[in-house]
Amino acid sequence: MLTETQLKRYTRNILLPNVGAAGQEKLLQSRVLVVGSGGLGSPAAYYLAAAGVGHIGLVDSDKVDLSNLQRQILHRTEDIGRPKVASGAEKLRALNSDTEVIAVEKLITGENADDVVRSYDVIVDCTDNFSVRYLLNDACISQQKPMIFGGVLSFSGQLMTIMPGEGPCLRCLFREDPSPDASSCAEVGILGAVPGVIGALQSTEVIKYLLGLGNLLMGRLLTYDALTAAFFEVTLERDPSCPSCAQL
Amino acid sequence: MLFKLCAKLTVGKFLRGDSMKLEVRVFSGLEKYLPGITFGQAFEIDVPEGTTGRGLLVKLAIPESQVFSMLANGRHFSFDQKFHPGDRVALFPPVGGG
Ligand SMILES: [Zn+2]
Repeated sequence: MLTETQLKRYTRNILLPNVGAAGQEKLLQSRVLVVGSGGLGSPAAYYLAAAGVGHIGLVDSDKVDLSNLQRQILHRTEDIGRPKVASGAEKLRALNSDTEVIAVEKLITGENADDVVRSYDVIVDCTDNFSVRYLLNDACISQQKPMIFGGVLSFSGQLMTIMPGEGPCLRCLFREDPSPDASSCAEVGILGAVPGVIGALQSTEVIKYLLGLGNLLMGRLLTYDALTAAFFEVTLERDPSCPSCAQL
Repeated sequence: MLFKLCAKLTVGKFLRGDSMKLEVRVFSGLEKYLPGITFGQAFEIDVPEGTTGRGLLVKLAIPESQVFSMLANGRHFSFDQKFHPGDRVALFPPVGGG
């Protein structure tokens, strides 16, 4: 049962078609893991906490750096040098005390990936590298958990919702580690609001999944070009020879 | 989906004999290698039959190291595979920042 305060706090959620008080209660009971608390994780975690997702796990092994503040809006100037998960958890708790924030100061490895994702309903990939994404992808496939992939570069971003066994996974799409010669954000830059757009869309996919709303971005890689202000959708199929999900 | 514009781009000379058309789109910065082509804009290209993924990159003058993922008709496509006429190709760099 929602309290009077909760009815007021979440009134704009509750008014939405097919959400209502029951949907809000469902959000309050949901467990979402946000891996990475940088450019994507900041807006994604903020919107999930604001929406009243009851349990948010925040995973990151980095500390806040001055160069992060141009886009990583969970962190402030006085947070420089602090663990990102401590800084991020503090902001989320201040935003909404209904949300239990679990700060996990860890690098995802092949050894811990399964354990880290185990207790969550959905995983939001807000990481900044493909080796961790592949580990998360495999852990989510083995435990049949949905994962919302997001990535950004320069003026562009992309996202896709991965439903293991139902739609393509990350490895259906991407096979190898990127070439060391390929462009990265550290070299070509990133416009801060671009991960803002993609992270907000990731949090939207999470809430749609949790409440069974609309159509997910399953098998649809949505790509955003800030320069032309356009979105493009590339339809994808599962790859029968995918090294990660072919057996499902 | 958002556009139906197909720019025609004939790279190199039209080859007498067996050529085929591919529909190509490039994303997230790879358009810088293709003057006149914008992010996500579909264009047609004539290539010899039997052209591989790698052969297409050579023809488009896009360095292999910059292409993280090549898709044909919505499926992963290796640089060694051969295209079929009419294949819809999408090329992505690693969009991996967070
Ligand atoms: Zn797969």
